[in-house]
Amino acid sequence: MRLATRKKIITAAVAVFALAVLAVELYPIAITLLNGFRRDIVILSGQKLSLKQFTGASYALVFENRQLMQAMRNSVVVGLLSTALSVGVGAMAAYGLTRFKFRGKNALAYSFLVFRMLPQMSLVVSLYLMFRTVGIRDTIFGITLAHSSFNVPYVIWMLIPFFTVVDKSYEEAAMVDGCSRWGMFRLIFLPLAAPGLVVAAVFAFINSWNEFLYALILTGVNARTAPVAISSLIGGDTLTWGQMCAASTVMLIPVFVFTIGMQKFLIRGVAAGGVKG
Amino acid sequence: MTFSRRRATSPSGNVASKSGTGGYGSPVPFLIPAFLIVFAVLIFPIVFSFVVSLFDWPLSAGGGARRFVGAGNYVELVKDKEFWNSLRLQLGFIFIAIPIEIALGLGAALLLNREFRGGRVVRALILLPVFFLPIVSGMTWRFMLQPRYGALNNFLLSLGAPEITWLGDPTFAYAAVIVQDVWRMWPFVFMLLYAGLVGIPADILEAAEIDGATSTKRLTKIILPLLYPTILTALLLRIIDALRVFSEVYVMTEGGPGMATTLFSLYTHRQAFGYMKVGMSSAMAIFLLAISILFAVTLVRKNMSLEKLEEQGENR
Repeated sequence: MRLATRKKIITAAVAVFALAVLAVELYPIAITLLNGFRRDIVILSGQKLSLKQFTGASYALVFENRQLMQAMRNSVVVGLLSTALSVGVGAMAAYGLTRFKFRGKNALAYSFLVFRMLPQMSLVVSLYLMFRTVGIRDTIFGITLAHSSFNVPYVIWMLIPFFTVVDKSYEEAAMVDGCSRWGMFRLIFLPLAAPGLVVAAVFAFINSWNEFLYALILTGVNARTAPVAISSLIGGDTLTWGQMCAASTVMLIPVFVFTIGMQKFLIRGVAAGGVKG
Repeated sequence: MTFSRRRATSPSGNVASKSGTGGYGSPVPFLIPAFLIVFAVLIFPIVFSFVVSLFDWPLSAGGGARRFVGAGNYVELVKDKEFWNSLRLQLGFIFIAIPIEIALGLGAALLLNREFRGGRVVRALILLPVFFLPIVSGMTWRFMLQPRYGALNNFLLSLGAPEITWLGDPTFAYAAVIVQDVWRMWPFVFMLLYAGLVGIPADILEAAEIDGATSTKRLTKIILPLLYPTILTALLLRIIDALRVFSEVYVMTEGGPGMATTLFSLYTHRQAFGYMKVGMSSAMAIFLLAISILFAVTLVRKNMSLEKLEEQGENR
């Protein structure tokens, strides 16, 4: 009985502690979400938050801002293209790495994993020089390609476990029937690994969606993506906090929706280096 | 590696990659496209970066007057006070932020590893900062730390404290950059360690309890040793991540005031796009690359071998 009471007290204390931690962790997020509904002038004047201030004015300004909307569209396009490219190419490579026997297989898999973890800062300067020489700087193609540099290794890493679980009897049966390797990949592996493809695609999209440094250096007015456009709302004499918060909220919606919907795969997805700008 | 919660028995026995069809057909067509992309946007840029680092190479569009200087850029870096400053700030960032993150993550994982009403929701919500866009995080913190209307000063002013320009002060700005990172990333450590804790079979702990092991003993003799590989993974992942920190700091402080928050990547960026010295910047890039590869290889060899990944698949 006394033990049970003690346990109850501990659990209650833990719950209180958890709520306190939660308050701290969610506070900055709440700030962003709330201030998107206030006018810049109200924020800058330092007024206390009150319900009367709530307005869609900052959102209206964001949606009327043609450069920002162009950047959002670019972000969607680059995200989709880079996701399609890396999932396509990455699925093939993951299949090649899991269902064949060949020398150097481990070394190759290792290097794909190591590649995922290289700092973007180490690559961006030479990518800038290369892209400028070839003439693909500030193009959707260029930034898509740059985003594939982290998404391809990422997708491979995500998909390997999904391909290894496929039962070999399917392959053996297919081989007996004279099915080619390409046929096996297309008819057996892609359908069976479909959940994995979806998970990898979602995270690849978010990787691209959040990316900042490549977009900052490798794009200009034409192919600029949303994170760079949003960051330009603040700095120097421009302090449009309300618009910044509104635009950020728009950016956050797909990320939060996807990640809450993907609870089961979050740990693998994040540990692989997802959600990093 | 405990990325996925392991079941005690593998559901379908030993299926997977030890297939009899492994020698059938060629893997080359499947690997070529990925290899081409990786070559174009990773391998070639790395080699090119190294070549550029051997030149005095101005950024100007025409290429300007490039001059081969051999190890000259590296020598100049060693003599550059700002280089050492950025390295010191970078190491400080890693050595201060990451231990706090690990401690908070471990503490929270141990505390929250029990059933209470709303526990699932709490554990899910704590993770939200991890998914906050880094640049949005950086800008929100910049916003909260504004002198006149920022949330922190509003709070302090109401207590009668003087107004502080947080991001205008070198020490406070550096601390703020670290606090921002701790705020956003300790839940990441928590997430990994919590999954690791859940993976520890309950019967081991019950047996220890029946044998009279105190809760301290259970923690130090059973839980921590079993959790150690996961802690190590979290540590390495965080180090690799912290080595390349850029965007959140860039939008939060732009490296300032002065050079107070110009971490390694920010100084690399400034060398190329501020001082227009691409050669110097590339030398820094190669230096950072070497360190990152070292940590990445350690992590991959320890925890992410192909066999481990395949095992994860089997146990899923």
